[in-house]
Amino acid sequence: MFSGIRVSAFLAWKSIQRGSQGTLALTIMIIALIFVNLVFLPSIISGVVVTFDTQSIDFDVGNLVIEPREGSRYIDGVDGLQKKVEQIPGITGTSPRITAGATFFYRGRNAASTLYGITPEDERSVTRIAEYMTAGEFLSGGDTDAIIIGATLAGTEGVEEGGLPSLEGVEVGDSVEVAYPNGETRTYRVKGIFETQSFGVDTAAFVTTREMSGVLGLDDQASAILVKTAVNGREEAYKREILSYGVQEDVLTFREKSGGFVEQAIQSFNIINAISTLVSLIIAIVVVFIVIFINTVNRRRQIGILKAIGIDQQIIINSYVLQVLFITAVGALVGIGLNAGVTTYLTAYPLVFPGGPVYPDVEASAILRSIASLFAVSVVAGYIPAWRIAREDILTAIRG
Amino acid sequence: MIVAENLTRVYTMGRVEVRALAGVSLEVARGEFVGIMGASGSGKSTLLHILGLLDRPTSGRVTIDGTDVLALSDQRRTQFRLNRLGYVFQDYALIGELTALENVYLTSLVRGAPKAEYLERSTDILRRVGLGDRIDHRQSELSGGEQQRVAIARALVNNPSILLADEPCANLDSQTSKSILDLFARLNEELDQTIVMVSHEDWHKEYFCRIVTLRDGLIGEMVECRKEPHPGGGA
Repeated sequence: MFSGIRVSAFLAWKSIQRGSQGTLALTIMIIALIFVNLVFLPSIISGVVVTFDTQSIDFDVGNLVIEPREGSRYIDGVDGLQKKVEQIPGITGTSPRITAGATFFYRGRNAASTLYGITPEDERSVTRIAEYMTAGEFLSGGDTDAIIIGATLAGTEGVEEGGLPSLEGVEVGDSVEVAYPNGETRTYRVKGIFETQSFGVDTAAFVTTREMSGVLGLDDQASAILVKTAVNGREEAYKREILSYGVQEDVLTFREKSGGFVEQAIQSFNIINAISTLVSLIIAIVVVFIVIFINTVNRRRQIGILKAIGIDQQIIINSYVLQVLFITAVGALVGIGLNAGVTTYLTAYPLVFPGGPVYPDVEASAILRSIASLFAVSVVAGYIPAWRIAREDILTAIRG
Repeated sequence: MIVAENLTRVYTMGRVEVRALAGVSLEVARGEFVGIMGASGSGKSTLLHILGLLDRPTSGRVTIDGTDVLALSDQRRTQFRLNRLGYVFQDYALIGELTALENVYLTSLVRGAPKAEYLERSTDILRRVGLGDRIDHRQSELSGGEQQRVAIARALVNNPSILLADEPCANLDSQTSKSILDLFARLNEELDQTIVMVSHEDWHKEYFCRIVTLRDGLIGEMVECRKEPHPGGGA
């Protein structure tokens, strides 16, 4: 058994060492590219999901969002509810928001979008919008005549509007008039412009809760309370915890808040990924099969000679399987290198999706899965042609 | 000892049946150097293929050292070839990717011999066939005669009880052919090596202890031709 494997390895190595180096390099390169293809698409899909999750948590709704119970427009007793939620271990911040549709006017231009009323300090404890100011400053608690505007709504130069609401050139210090849904209008000084690259956030504007409550006639009320947790990924557990504290309002995780959009997107991406994986693996099978088939046909006589001098056909077949394993292993290693290069490039120059920049998220499990599937198909594709030639009658093989 | 009884071999080519062997019976004793001769198409290579377990007869029986080799499974036949037979092909049949030394020790590797042992033995055998300074050369770097010597060394490395050679000098000039035949004669006389060799060259007869001449798949003549050691054998 051991000597058989030793002979297979000996024959395989000599064939690799002294066979056509050009063919070997080309085959390894093809396997490497197939490997990159197997890993790349899942890494982009995973990146899209990570981007959506990050954008949702960091800029849009936090980890969880508490909304008014059915039939109510606002959450009442916001202060008390905030205190109740914040005492739950693992909850690191809450931020009440008042949401209203508004029309913005600037130098004869207007755009309809969303206006939020926030408590700046609370907002800082949940979202990271304050860290993404591209001009001016974030709101302060006492601001009543100030507004901060997303870069898309402001129409900042260089920011792609793509049919989204835009005031085409608002700058810090400019005045913007806002028409509230109750008919009230206010003029605000633009205190800052932010750019999060999340289109839902960059098309919105923020004033303080104090200002917006005054305009809308609200008192200790909010359209939603965003909740930030210490760790991501445990939203369901925190949701149960919040509900167990007697919160009567609706509590949604950020995924639930998206209304199944992400799940649907992931499902669609997974179908595309499955098709791409299947095509890649079929290409791998065909390439390895052709390489080993040509190899064995060219060495038909040699295989006959090996059998004639007393070498078992399984040893001969295994020598080809070992060659395939070597090619696949080196191909996978080269593929890992190429993939690292692509990942590095796309990390420096990310793909831009509507939800924000997408960085490839290469998961170890995806790499292992790709390596395993590549090895599996390569061994099968290498074994069959080797087996077909090796079982041939000795004299027929020797005569070629 | 080889005992072949009433061997027939019929090839079917489309609708035509070709009877390569029509009932050959032959015994080769230990230490004999038997030459199988005959015209082209007389069945001599077919007979050697069957004795070398590379082919199966249509009917008949072959016993080698008491083993009914036709009853063996393919795997057992492979092992039998590995352990008991040495085969020298007309066109050398070396593995091109291997050096002379690697070609020779390959079968020892299969037998699981320790590295030091098979390296020493293979090197020694290559020296004995006059290739001590060519052991690291590959097939493409060796002359026809040298390639055939490597093939002989490969056939002998596992001390086979029988050495079978299928027209080993067919592609060699007369000088090189003579040196190969001298080598066979020396092996036969010094080591009592049993050799069965197919040839169609008349001048080879002087080397054989016995000549079996085939005609149309049958033994036409069997002649004991050499009683004394051949001068080329060096005994």
